[in-house]
Amino acid sequence: MAAPCVELPKGGFSFDNCARNARLEQLGLKFPTAYKTGTTIAGAIFKDGVVLGADTRATEDTVVADKNCAKIHYLSDNMYCCGAGTAADTEMTTQLISAELELHRLNTGRVPRVATANRLLKQMLYRYQGHIGAALVLGGVDVTGPNLYSIWPHGSTDKLPYVTMGSGSLAAMATFEDRFKPDMTREEAMKLVRDAIAAGIFNDLGSGSNVDLCVITKDKVEYIRPYEVANIRGVKQRSYRYQRGTTAILSSEVKKLDLDVFGTEVKHQPMDTQ
Amino acid sequence: MASASVLSEYKAPISAHFSPYDFNGGTVLAIAGNDFALIATDTRLSQGFAIHSRECPKTFTLTNNTILGCCGFHGDVLTLTKTLAARLQIFEKDHNKPMPTASIAAMLSTILYYRRFFPYYTHNVVAGLDEEGKGCVYSFDPVGCYEKESFRAKGSASAMLQPLLDNQIGGKNQNGYTAQSLTSTQCVALVKDVFTSAAERDIYTGDNIIISVVNKDGIKSEKFPLRRD
Amino acid sequence: MAMMMTSGFPNSEGLGVGMEWMNNEVSTGTTLAATEFEGGVIIGADSRTTTGSYVANRVTDKLTKITDYIYCCRSGSAADTQAIADIVKYHVDFHRMETGEEPLVNTVANIFRQLCYENRDQISAGIIVAGWDKQKGGQVYSIPLGGMLQRMPYSIGGSGSTYLYGYVDAGYKPNMKKEDALQFIANAVSLAINRDGSSGGIIRLAAISKDGVERFTLTGKDMPKFFEDS
Repeated sequence: MAAPCVELPKGGFSFDNCARNARLEQLGLKFPTAYKTGTTIAGAIFKDGVVLGADTRATEDTVVADKNCAKIHYLSDNMYCCGAGTAADTEMTTQLISAELELHRLNTGRVPRVATANRLLKQMLYRYQGHIGAALVLGGVDVTGPNLYSIWPHGSTDKLPYVTMGSGSLAAMATFEDRFKPDMTREEAMKLVRDAIAAGIFNDLGSGSNVDLCVITKDKVEYIRPYEVANIRGVKQRSYRYQRGTTAILSSEVKKLDLDVFGTEVKHQPMDTQ
Repeated sequence: MASASVLSEYKAPISAHFSPYDFNGGTVLAIAGNDFALIATDTRLSQGFAIHSRECPKTFTLTNNTILGCCGFHGDVLTLTKTLAARLQIFEKDHNKPMPTASIAAMLSTILYYRRFFPYYTHNVVAGLDEEGKGCVYSFDPVGCYEKESFRAKGSASAMLQPLLDNQIGGKNQNGYTAQSLTSTQCVALVKDVFTSAAERDIYTGDNIIISVVNKDGIKSEKFPLRRD
Repeated sequence: MAMMMTSGFPNSEGLGVGMEWMNNEVSTGTTLAATEFEGGVIIGADSRTTTGSYVANRVTDKLTKITDYIYCCRSGSAADTQAIADIVKYHVDFHRMETGEEPLVNTVANIFRQLCYENRDQISAGIIVAGWDKQKGGQVYSIPLGGMLQRMPYSIGGSGSTYLYGYVDAGYKPNMKKEDALQFIANAVSLAINRDGSSGGIIRLAAISKDGVERFTLTGKDMPKFFEDS
C-alpha cells in the first residue's frame, strides 16, 4: 500500500489521510490541537513609517505554551508581518511569502512593494479557503510610502491607517479608536501601539507577557524585542533545591562494550601549492 | 461509504443551545497544619477570554474557625454560599454555638448531593480547626463526595499545584526523606510560590491571592499580588 | 476516594464563547445601490465590513475599480468578492491590451457572471457591475447569488436592499439629472443604513460618465436625514 516513510516529501501539503481522519472524527476521535496564538497584534501608520506591535504569549487551550514567542515575522528588509491564529500557519505562510518576495526582488532588482506582499498572502490564503488559519497584520515602507494591511484567514484584506488582529484585537482597537490621529511622530506612534498591545495583554486572557515592537521607516528597521516586559515574574519565597540522592535509583547495570580500537598514523605532508 | 461521504457534506442545523453552566476560572488551595489550617484563592473572575473582575476572592468565612474555598461556576458559588450561611445561622440560633468544622463538611456534602441530578458546578474545600484544635481540611467533588485530607488544590490550576504540594508537603518522590509538618509561615511562603508559578502557565489564575489562616486566635487574611496578564 | 465528577466542567471547552467573530468569514453585510442617469451611472454603498457582530472595517470601499469607466459593487463574502474582482480585473486588462480599446460594460459583467456562475456552489457573492461605454452609454448589471446576469435601469443589493425595494421603485425616473440621481442613491443608502444592522459607516458614491469617474463620500451631517424618533 503506502511507500515506506523514508521517501522524501515532494513539496506542498500531504492530504493522504484527510478522508480517513474525517471519518475518525465523525466516530468521535479527538485530534491533537495545534498551538493557537490567542494574540494581540496591531499596527499603525505614522508620519514617516509604520509601527507594528505584538504580545508574546502562545496558548494551547487554557495553558500558556510559550511565554515569550516572536509574533512579528520578517518578510523582507522593508516589510514585516505580525501573525495571529494557528502558530504553525502564520510561521510557515510568512516564511513562504518571504522567500517569494526575495526571488521577486532578485528578478526585478527592485525593493518589493507592500501591495505585492499583500497580494501574494491573500491569494495563498484564499486558495486554502480558510483552512490555513493565519490572521495577519502586514506593514512596511516602499516607494509609495508607508503601507499597512490586515489579512484575514479566508483571504480578504483591508488597507487602513491602523489595524488590529487576534483575540485581543477588540481591546487594542478600542485604544486606537480613542487616540489614533494622522501624521503622528515616531514616539507618539510607538507609545500608542504599546498601549494598544498592553490593553490586549491585560484585558484578554489569550494574550500576555511582553510587548514587541517593530518600527519601519524608509531605509531603516528597528525590531525591539522585548520593547517592554509588561509582567515580571514573582520572586520565589523558598528554596527548592533537593539533597543529592533524592531521586531514587531503581536499578543499575554496568555493561562492557566490545570495541575494536584502530590506530591510524598520519604523517606530516607539505601542502601541494603547485 | 459513498452514501456516508455524501451525507457528511451536509452540516447539522445550527441550534442556539443554552447551557445553564459556565466556567469562571479560579483556583483554591487548602492546607491543614498541626495547629492551623489555611485556604488560599486567587481573585480573578473570568469567562472565555475575558476578565470580569480582578478583585473577587473565592474564600468565604463560615464560622469563627471554619472557612470555605469555592470556585467553578460563579452563579452556583453565590447560591451555595448563601444557602450555607443561612443554614449555619439557623444552627447557631438553635444550638447557641457555631457549627463545628466536621459537621459543616457533612452538611455541605448533603447540600451538594441534594442536587445530584442538576449539580452545583463548584469545587469546594472546607478548612478549619477540629474539636481538639488541630487543623483539618475537607475536599469535595461537585456532587458531595468528600474526604478529610491534609492538603488539596481545586479548580482551574489544581493539576499544576497538586503535584508540587504532594512533593513539598507530602514528601512524595523523594528518596530517603520523611515529610515533616510545616509551620504556618512556611506554608504561606509555599502557597505564594505555587500560585506565582501557576499564574505563569494558567490563563485563569492571576491578579491576586487571598491567604486566610485559621488558628486558635481566629482568622487572619493576607493579600499577595500575582501577574495581571 | 472515588471522585465521580471531578474532571472539569461540561462547558470548559467553551473558551470560544462570544468569540464567533474570530472564526466567521469576513462578510460585507451591505447596502448597494446603482442607477442609470442621463449621461452615465451612479453607484453607491455603505462602508461597513463585519465578522459576526464585530465591525472589522468601518470605512471599507466596496466600490471597486475594474477599469477607468467600469466599477463593481461587492456584497457577500469579502474574500470571495475581492478575489473575483482581482481576477476579472486581470482578464479585463488583458482584453484591453489585445483589443486596444476600452472594454464594454457588458463584457466585464459577463466575465463576472461566468466566475460567479461556475463557482456558485463554493462562493457567496452578490455583485453589481456599472459603468459607461461608447456603445450603450451608462449601464447597470446585476449578478445576484446564483450567478444570473441581468441588465437593469437601476439595481440594489446586499442585506440592506430589502428595506429599499419600495423606495427605489417609487423614486426612480428615467433620464434623471446627475445631481438628482446622486441624491436618489445617497437617500437609498442612508435609509438602509438606518434600518439594517449590518450596514453602516459612511456613504460612498461614484458618478461614471464619458468623462470618467467622480468619487464622493458623505460623512456625519452630510448624510441624508429622514424621520428619526427622538
